[in-house]
Amino acid sequence: MGRKILLVEDDLETASYLLRGLDEEGHSVDHVGDGRDGLFLASDGSFDLIILDRMVPGLDGLALLRGLRAAGCATPVLILSALASVSDRIEGLDCGSDDYLVKPFSFAELLARVNALLRRADGSAAMADPRLIVADLEIDPMARTVRRAGKAVALKPREYRLLEYFARNAGKVVTRTMLLEQVWDYHFDPGTNVIDVHVSRLRRKLEDGFEQPILHTVRGAGYRLGPDA
Amino acid sequence: MREAVRIPTSLRVALIAAFLALASNLTIVGFLYFRTHDDTMAVHRQRVGEEASALFDVYRTGGQKGLDAAIHDSLDAEDPQLIAAVLAPPPQASLGNVTAFPAPLYRLRAGYQEGPLRIADSAVPVESGYVLHPLGKGEWLLSGRSFGERLSLQRTLERSLMIAVAASVLLGLLCGAVTARYVSRRVGAIATVAEDITRGELGRRVKVSRSGDAFDALGLQINHMLDRIEALMEELRLLTDSLAHDLRSPVGRLRARIDAALTAPSEERRHQLLGGVLNEADSLMRILTTVLEIGRSEAMTSRKQFTWLGPDELVSELADMYEPLVEESGASLSTKVTGVLLPLFGHRQLLAQALSNLVDNALKYAASGGEIVLLAEQDDGEIRLGVSDRGPGIAASDEAEARRRFGRLDASRSSGGAGLGLALAQAVAHLHRGRLELQDNGPGLRAFLVIPAAVAA
Repeated sequence: MGRKILLVEDDLETASYLLRGLDEEGHSVDHVGDGRDGLFLASDGSFDLIILDRMVPGLDGLALLRGLRAAGCATPVLILSALASVSDRIEGLDCGSDDYLVKPFSFAELLARVNALLRRADGSAAMADPRLIVADLEIDPMARTVRRAGKAVALKPREYRLLEYFARNAGKVVTRTMLLEQVWDYHFDPGTNVIDVHVSRLRRKLEDGFEQPILHTVRGAGYRLGPDA
Repeated sequence: MREAVRIPTSLRVALIAAFLALASNLTIVGFLYFRTHDDTMAVHRQRVGEEASALFDVYRTGGQKGLDAAIHDSLDAEDPQLIAAVLAPPPQASLGNVTAFPAPLYRLRAGYQEGPLRIADSAVPVESGYVLHPLGKGEWLLSGRSFGERLSLQRTLERSLMIAVAASVLLGLLCGAVTARYVSRRVGAIATVAEDITRGELGRRVKVSRSGDAFDALGLQINHMLDRIEALMEELRLLTDSLAHDLRSPVGRLRARIDAALTAPSEERRHQLLGGVLNEADSLMRILTTVLEIGRSEAMTSRKQFTWLGPDELVSELADMYEPLVEESGASLSTKVTGVLLPLFGHRQLLAQALSNLVDNALKYAASGGEIVLLAEQDDGEIRLGVSDRGPGIAASDEAEARRRFGRLDASRSSGGAGLGLALAQAVAHLHRGRLELQDNGPGLRAFLVIPAAVAA
């Protein structure tokens, strides 16, 4: 299921690294190295996702983004930037981007975020069944209840939110920073394994008494909720 | 293009001061003139003129004889102010009550004039207004009236006012010159300092006298500004130095790991080592980001992202986040909110990061000690957010080192962490116009971000 992605990035090395990686994932990527060209291409709305470097020649990334949003284009945008401070990230998000990733980044992190954004765009289109079902796990976001193989699992509110986020990205890798940003709304790096402990607690509740593991650790990247691959 | 005429500032100041001095003097002079001047003098002149022409008419119709008789009659009327005489150059005899010519003969002229006259009954010359008519043969008809006290006074006053006007012009100019000199001397002192600073003598400061006038206030402000600039530059220099110095060890570790990976005997071992390289690179990135964050906060550039937030919420969110981790490491985490907390205008992300650093420190140094408490208190217009632990604490002599960027209390630098935690917490406190307080918890450490509650104002 390849998707159309626009990459606005002037650094050729980063661009070819991303082009290769995203191409391997089956996406078709258009690449421009200039902000003005980027805005021109992006504004027809035919892309599923825009990956935008914040500092590109021609037109600054944030200006491009503002122009795009002002023109009513709602395509998800992921900002890539070497500007790494918390304030820079908040500024980027406030400008209308859907995600902000600091350079240098690992490709796994980028891919996880790209997938989450693509999925979110799909999700907002089709919300017929509000329940989330992952293998034998069933989550009801209205009642905030969780069942596994028909058995109720008691979760604390924070654990529930964590699980709901995993479930909305079921089968995909979710990184630690994504969890920190989406579940806790913190945009700084705590630098400890604070997230890991939460996840392992959640895992214990989900897997104790069951044969099959459902919340997996993906080495060097993050976690994945889903049946064994 | 029209070139504006440039008047040097000091000249402009001089002119303005002169003008103001002149204007105020003229106002006073004008006021005095207005209050004292009336038409007594004009009436006097008119009367003198009429009497003189009457006598002259007598002379024309009655000749010398008639005139003599008329003068006698007039003087006999016992009018003390009246002056009437026919003056003849010696040796001829004069007639009337004037004993001497008012001026040398050659300077006499016809018409109305004012001045002192020698009168028969008076020892001193008497100020009078009089009319002179030449009668021929060197004889002059003088007819007039002495001024009397009131008119004399008024004449003196009017003359004085004239002098005062002249004097005030001079004084105004003098005043302007003095003011301009003073102003340019005071401004010049400041300008000299600015010039020295531009040349690189950053230690120079404006001399401030103790009079506390506007120039002193300006000088003080400039000195404050210079102090701030110097402190920032010093900070920047320290930071660059410490970056260059303190990044050596993580870069060194990174290099060592790459080296080891290159020479690894097995594929599996290489994989493992490369994973370590990635971690090392990430932690290096984290150090750079944190240093940047500290710099940003100290420079107060993030204040536009401030929002209203509840301090108790902030603390409970963090407790929620850290509780599992703290429990895993064998300690306990609780929150303690004292009193009713006002909302706080601040940077949620940075405050959370600062507090999480404090919790991390407590975990790192004091996990064995048991209880870690997240605290939120309100006290005297200040909101205190902090963490207390039961660890070894920080000795007073070590406090400065603990607050320093890359400051480490264990000299070996063996345990993880870059020594930026407290420095960041302190920078975030400064961003909120507050401070970082480190207290003895007897035993242990209580670290507080103390933030003025009215920071939004």
